[in-house]
Amino acid sequence: MKSSAFKKSYTGVTVLDMPAFEWCEGTVTAVIGANGSGKSTLAKVLAGIEAPDGRSRPLTGAAVGYLPQKSYAFRMSTERNIALNGSDTERMRELMAALKLDPVAKRKAKKLSGGETAKMALARILMGSYDLLILDEPTASMDMESTLAAEKLIRDCCSRTGCALVLITHSIRQAKRIADNVLFLRNGKLTEQGPAEKILSNPAKEETRRFLEFYGA
Amino acid sequence: MGSSIRKAIELILTGDKELLNILATTARVSLTSSLIALLIGIPLGMLLGARRFPGRNALTVLNRTLMGMPPVVCGLLFYMLFSGVGPFRHLQLLFTVRLMIIAQVVLITPLVTCSMETFTADIALPLRETAKGLGFGPWKRFGLLVNECVYPIFSSYLLAFARAIAEVGAVSMVGGAIAWKTNVMTTAIMQYTNRGNFTLGIALGLILLTLSLLVNIVLSLMQRRLSR
Amino acid sequence: MKKFLSLLLALVMILALCACGKAEAPLAATGGSAPKSDALVVDTCILKEADDAMINNYSLLAVNPEAPFADADGNAVDDVAINAIGAAALINWLLSEEGQELAANYGFEQYGEYLFYLKDERPVSTAEIPAATEDTGKIRLSTTTSVNDSGLLGYLLPVFEEKYGYEVEVYSAGTGKSIANAKMGNADLILVHSKKQEEAFIADGFSYVLDGMEAERLNWMYNYFVLCGPSDDPAGVKDAADVPAAFEAIADGKFPFISRGDGSGTHTKEISLWPEELGITAEAESFKDYTDWYISANAGMGACLVMAEQMHAYILTDKATFLTFVASDGVIG
Repeated sequence: MKSSAFKKSYTGVTVLDMPAFEWCEGTVTAVIGANGSGKSTLAKVLAGIEAPDGRSRPLTGAAVGYLPQKSYAFRMSTERNIALNGSDTERMRELMAALKLDPVAKRKAKKLSGGETAKMALARILMGSYDLLILDEPTASMDMESTLAAEKLIRDCCSRTGCALVLITHSIRQAKRIADNVLFLRNGKLTEQGPAEKILSNPAKEETRRFLEFYGA
Repeated sequence: MGSSIRKAIELILTGDKELLNILATTARVSLTSSLIALLIGIPLGMLLGARRFPGRNALTVLNRTLMGMPPVVCGLLFYMLFSGVGPFRHLQLLFTVRLMIIAQVVLITPLVTCSMETFTADIALPLRETAKGLGFGPWKRFGLLVNECVYPIFSSYLLAFARAIAEVGAVSMVGGAIAWKTNVMTTAIMQYTNRGNFTLGIALGLILLTLSLLVNIVLSLMQRRLSR
Repeated sequence: MKKFLSLLLALVMILALCACGKAEAPLAATGGSAPKSDALVVDTCILKEADDAMINNYSLLAVNPEAPFADADGNAVDDVAINAIGAAALINWLLSEEGQELAANYGFEQYGEYLFYLKDERPVSTAEIPAATEDTGKIRLSTTTSVNDSGLLGYLLPVFEEKYGYEVEVYSAGTGKSIANAKMGNADLILVHSKKQEEAFIADGFSYVLDGMEAERLNWMYNYFVLCGPSDDPAGVKDAADVPAAFEAIADGKFPFISRGDGSGTHTKEISLWPEELGITAEAESFKDYTDWYISANAGMGACLVMAEQMHAYILTDKATFLTFVASDGVIG
């Protein structure tokens, strides 16, 4: 799955300058970078939520799924929220069990805690099937146990459906755990990319090394 | 207060014919006008809040300006338009309940629109991001947005009804407070006050508040049931 | 949900309790010797009445269907719908023997005195009154608040409506506003009490002479304005030689006076009673130096009476409204 090169500016300032990129199917690509590095913008443009400069979408003809950082809880119960994205009850039971959502299944989704909302949102997006699935910091507000369960689901989904999965994160540990490829963004520019194993242990560029050290990998 | 409350109870218990007529007219005017305002204001407010289109800002500003229109000015405008010498004289609508309803719709719709616009603007963006990210089409997104709006629709209606039932400036201008025809609670209260009969004025005021309370209870119960 | 409901129920019950408790208290008081209830009695009383200077003439004027109606921009409008037949029917009935007798007797039952008197040289009608038809059935009468508030119309009109099948819609406002309403084509006839404004109305061509009548202005009823004030009468109005002297005494002593200030017939009359050198007119500019005692309320008669009562002020009022005010003890709440 290939996305063409694009730029995105807000009020004249370019916040993201992305070259053409190949998102490999059946693998997890982690997009890593500090706050404001352009990660979320990348996600939104790829997902078609925001148009890039020049308005030509970088991806065409692909079914793209996107989980925003703060996913919206619709005014209905948790389980109905999840069922919005598919009627496969077997799959739904599996996801809810894995994320321990059963106790809050009947509760109004708006009344869920931050972590519970994040789990509901993840379960909801995983109900669908996409060619490219972009998850923007899906585990940011989850506890460790939930995070590990979520990561397992994400990996499973990727290998099961063969979709190209883009995981936006600032956790290098998380990238190490589940990413096949990594992609570093800094000030809106792609600084380094390649297989996770190689780059996370032995980056080619000095700035990536500093970033890795700073984030305690 | 004591004698007013006694008078109010007495009026209700004896089923005073003129009072019943005033109550019926009041109910007709305020229920109809608030419902029509709701039918226009909700789609309009949701449109203004959820979508970006050319002229949207101008419309929003216009709407907010109309919200500040004094009822008397609205009444005066309609009085002039529908007067015996006005451009719409052939419709023969002056001093009729219908024109009172129309004037109130003009007064109230901006309120409903604004309250829906504010609410929708807050949720439209995150809702759209999430729903679009899930791959939902425009109709499904619209359905979800409407579902989010159930609660504010009720509060908008309460706002509209409260304004309609309490309004006096416009209805007295275009209705003329004609006994047995266009006299509503507020204009009747004005009349009694002008005559120095404050007791009866307050008695009617109490009945008006009680009516308002009843409508509020019914709507709140419906709101609770629906928002489950 | 249940909590909410029970809270509401409790609120309603408390309200009801308050209502019953308070409603019973005054009843119990009147049952005993009740010196308390005397405190409610109105202090304002009639100081000058039945004086020719304060005569209050009521006239009927039919609106001329051919009147020079004009829209807000002054453009002529020639197709204003005026129910001339209905207006003539109502006027003929009011001036008939039956209508006049009813009007003359009004008020005696309720207040023990007559509120309106018939002019000696009044127009009388013997014309046949046609029954209402689909086109003439709705009659729009524009009148002043004092006529409407006196209850006279509520007493007269049902008799007429019942007998001939018409439906009379009464629009009541201050004389100025009710005449303006007619000039905008929203009335078929007017019943007002301000000679000056009536004559202007006629001069502008808005009225016409009905068949069998001698003039446009049909002045058939009158009563008197009354000058009221605090019972201790600090200005000595009661002993003043005549009404102009009474007004002069009020102005000289700068005793508070409540003016309607709303362009009503009562207001017009009051302005004409002040000593000329004061120069009081309807314009706010004219009494700007008297604001320490001359209070322009811009309110209805009843509201003004309440003000006068509370400020121990003098006031000019029509008798009917004053009697209603006294009959309801001038109560506020």
